[in-house]
Amino acid sequence: MRQERVENDYIVEMRHITKRFGGVAANDDISIGIRRGEIFAVLGENGAGKSTLMSILFGKYEPDSGDILVRGRPAVLSSSNDAVSLNIGMVHQHFNLVPNYTVAENIILGSEPIKRVFGIFPCVDIKTAEARIAELSRAYGLEVDPSLPIAQAGVSVQQRVEILKMLCRNAEILIFDEPTAVLAPREIEFLLDIIRGLREKGHTIILITHKLEEIMRVADRCAVLRRGRLVGTLAVADTSPQELAELMVGRELPPAGKRPSAGFGDTVLEVQDLTVRDQDGLEVVKGVSFSVRRGEIFAIVGVSGSGQVEIADAIAGLARPQAGRIRLMGLDITDCGIRRRIEAGISYIPEDRQRYGVILDFTLAENLAIKSYYRPPLSKSGVLRPGRIREFADDLIERYDIRGADGAGMITRSMSGGNQQKAIIARELSRDSALIIFVQPTRGLDIGAIRSIHARIIEERDRGRAVLLVSLDLDEVMNLADTVGIVFSGRMVKISPANRLTADEVGEYMMGVRV
Amino acid sequence: MSGSARRGGLPGASTAWTRFLEVMSGDKTSHIAIPLFSVALSMVAASLLLLALGENPLVAMAAFLRGSGFMVKPSYAGGQSALTDFLSFLGILAPMLLAALSVAAALRAGMFNIGVAGQMLAAGYVATILAGYADMAPALARPLVVLLGLSVGATMGAAVGFLKYRFNIHEVVSTIMFNYITSYVTGFLINTHYSDAITRSSRVCSRAARLTVTGIDVGGLRLTFPIGILIALAAAAIMKFVLDRTTVGFELKAVGLNRDAARYAGISVGRVTVFAMSVSGALAGLAGVTYYLGYYNNIMPKTLASLGFDAIAVALLGNLNPVGSIFSSILVTIFQKGSVYMSSTLGAPQEVASVITSVMLLFSACGACVRFHAARMLEKLAGRGGSDEGGGG
Repeated sequence: MRQERVENDYIVEMRHITKRFGGVAANDDISIGIRRGEIFAVLGENGAGKSTLMSILFGKYEPDSGDILVRGRPAVLSSSNDAVSLNIGMVHQHFNLVPNYTVAENIILGSEPIKRVFGIFPCVDIKTAEARIAELSRAYGLEVDPSLPIAQAGVSVQQRVEILKMLCRNAEILIFDEPTAVLAPREIEFLLDIIRGLREKGHTIILITHKLEEIMRVADRCAVLRRGRLVGTLAVADTSPQELAELMVGRELPPAGKRPSAGFGDTVLEVQDLTVRDQDGLEVVKGVSFSVRRGEIFAIVGVSGSGQVEIADAIAGLARPQAGRIRLMGLDITDCGIRRRIEAGISYIPEDRQRYGVILDFTLAENLAIKSYYRPPLSKSGVLRPGRIREFADDLIERYDIRGADGAGMITRSMSGGNQQKAIIARELSRDSALIIFVQPTRGLDIGAIRSIHARIIEERDRGRAVLLVSLDLDEVMNLADTVGIVFSGRMVKISPANRLTADEVGEYMMGVRV
Repeated sequence: MSGSARRGGLPGASTAWTRFLEVMSGDKTSHIAIPLFSVALSMVAASLLLLALGENPLVAMAAFLRGSGFMVKPSYAGGQSALTDFLSFLGILAPMLLAALSVAAALRAGMFNIGVAGQMLAAGYVATILAGYADMAPALARPLVVLLGLSVGATMGAAVGFLKYRFNIHEVVSTIMFNYITSYVTGFLINTHYSDAITRSSRVCSRAARLTVTGIDVGGLRLTFPIGILIALAAAAIMKFVLDRTTVGFELKAVGLNRDAARYAGISVGRVTVFAMSVSGALAGLAGVTYYLGYYNNIMPKTLASLGFDAIAVALLGNLNPVGSIFSSILVTIFQKGSVYMSSTLGAPQEVASVITSVMLLFSACGACVRFHAARMLEKLAGRGGSDEGGGG
């Protein structure tokens, strides 16, 4: 793509890498080259494919197609052992350490130095190992005590132990997967210093991150990925955070074929000071308020993980809010169970369709009936009526053009992702709910399916429904939304009619560049 | 496993092999083909074992069938016949089937009930104490025994479900704990209050309370008919209806296959969890009363019935399906019941039966793996064979 220099400049080259999971391309024809002794950043949102790409380099996945060259020679990486033997090391986001072993024991685990007591009995030579680790730690300024048990070490120390582990295995190329995600600000400083130190000692660093600031501070060059594709490789000195943000979030197509709403009706959904915590007790949604009216498409946009999915989950009842009220057509549903909310008029197309949207081992008919099986006409006093269920399913299959070999009796697992999504949408839209929540409705689908789903969303709005759309796809949002609510790290930072904002402005709010 | 069939250089052989792979991996056929395949494989394994022990496998298999009353023995003691053997077989088949249904009910909802033996013991104990030692007419005592079995088992099951739902205590842990608690508590009470001086077991329960109909005269033989088998078959039929045709069954399967999706669809996962475990417990309780007040009539203190654990294998072999469980429990019970006669006539160790059962479990537990490999081999064949393989579609 951009091979302005001779090839032997690159210590690692990945050419035309493609990797698919199911039907979705996590990496689509990506080519990057990393120069010896540089800090190379890989930037992208969650799900952009950067971890997949680096897992391919580390031998965790094999690419469907494409070549990898390490030091100019083609490399076959079918396990992480292959990567280690090519002096590639990876510091994972989640550490692989044994808590009740010491630092030194963890580092030598798997390649223990052996000495023989009295020349016969083999025994782990921990003394020599500790001395070597202490020396390495000093040389790289890591400040790690080899005899400290991991259980007593903080996160930052554990991360440095992982780095030491790689250095002890003679890693020349070090991959860091979101290394600062777990660190406090001062620890981040320290880590960035260490990374610079590694470069000075001749190591090549690959830094996977979605934080622009880190890239600007340490990286030499940066590859930007979006939705599985490489959108550019830039020299950091010649770029700005704004440019990186734009590339990362994307703004390709101008809003085309957009039909404005005919006008808004009564308020359907009212969310007030909503606060949601995740399993670890962290506040992921912080005091968010907004409302959605009839005939309105309200889109929540933000960088992945800004709390938008949790807002949708809280409205649907899947997540319990810490504080705040949720009202549906004046009725306070904050404390209602999920089924009550469904019956009150909420349809929900979830982000993870195979985990929430369908039961893969159920038949298509069963999945279509899963929200209404307990009521007439599909059942009568607790007994299912298979004939009625079948009719109900056949009707939806016909109306929503769900395709599959065996019709209603087909096992859902054997259907394509696009048809599974069609089935979910058919089920949810057929309920005639006042509020329809779409989360990432077109993720991983082909262009034809995307168009038909977009048309459905607009059609539902025009029929007077309130639509809440959560999407990471800025083009989709700008194409569909009447009103845009932008979230940044759990807060709703801006609510505005969609036509008063440009995509650039939205991108800047999303990245926290503009407040 | 597939060594014998892999030669396939001939076109005819390879078509048969393709057909076989299709049947093994097909959506509609694999749920029957895989258990049959595991049974066949375990028969082969058992035959090899018997050959190694110096026995003729066919003679041994016939001995298993004779011991269970499916074939006539060369000679009988007074008052015995193949019919009495068969009724006795039905007597132990009943708790086996009920216990397998119990395991299946929990597993269909995604839970592993290893506490069947403990629930059986608790139900059997309570029924023995309250009904078995009371002076009651059979018409009153027997329904009471069934009712006690149901309710004690259901209560224990519900407790497990509640602990899981409310406190997130894994059912495997709680059922194992309940097994110990039940075994020691009942053992202590039997030893201190209800022990028989000679057998060291609990005193035998009254005839009126036993789930058997005695004294049926057929051709000069006095037969004893186990009521338990009727209860077990009825339970299987009801369970099949509930799973296939009711809203509760629908919810139970949904929770078992995907808890997250079930919750998203508005199903109360907690309620279903408690319900499924109560049903599982109730079935185990019924297994307990048919076992302790029908087949054995007394309780050995501090001993859990191994049948409660064998039932896991039986349920898996029966594909967690009520009808499948009927067949698998018959099959496994033939080997277990017939092992005494097999061992006494052939002199081969009785444990051969346990080996056969465990090999069957091993193969049926590998069912998903077998299916996966069959599908993959089929894919490879299709890729290599290209146009000459028509494919069954």
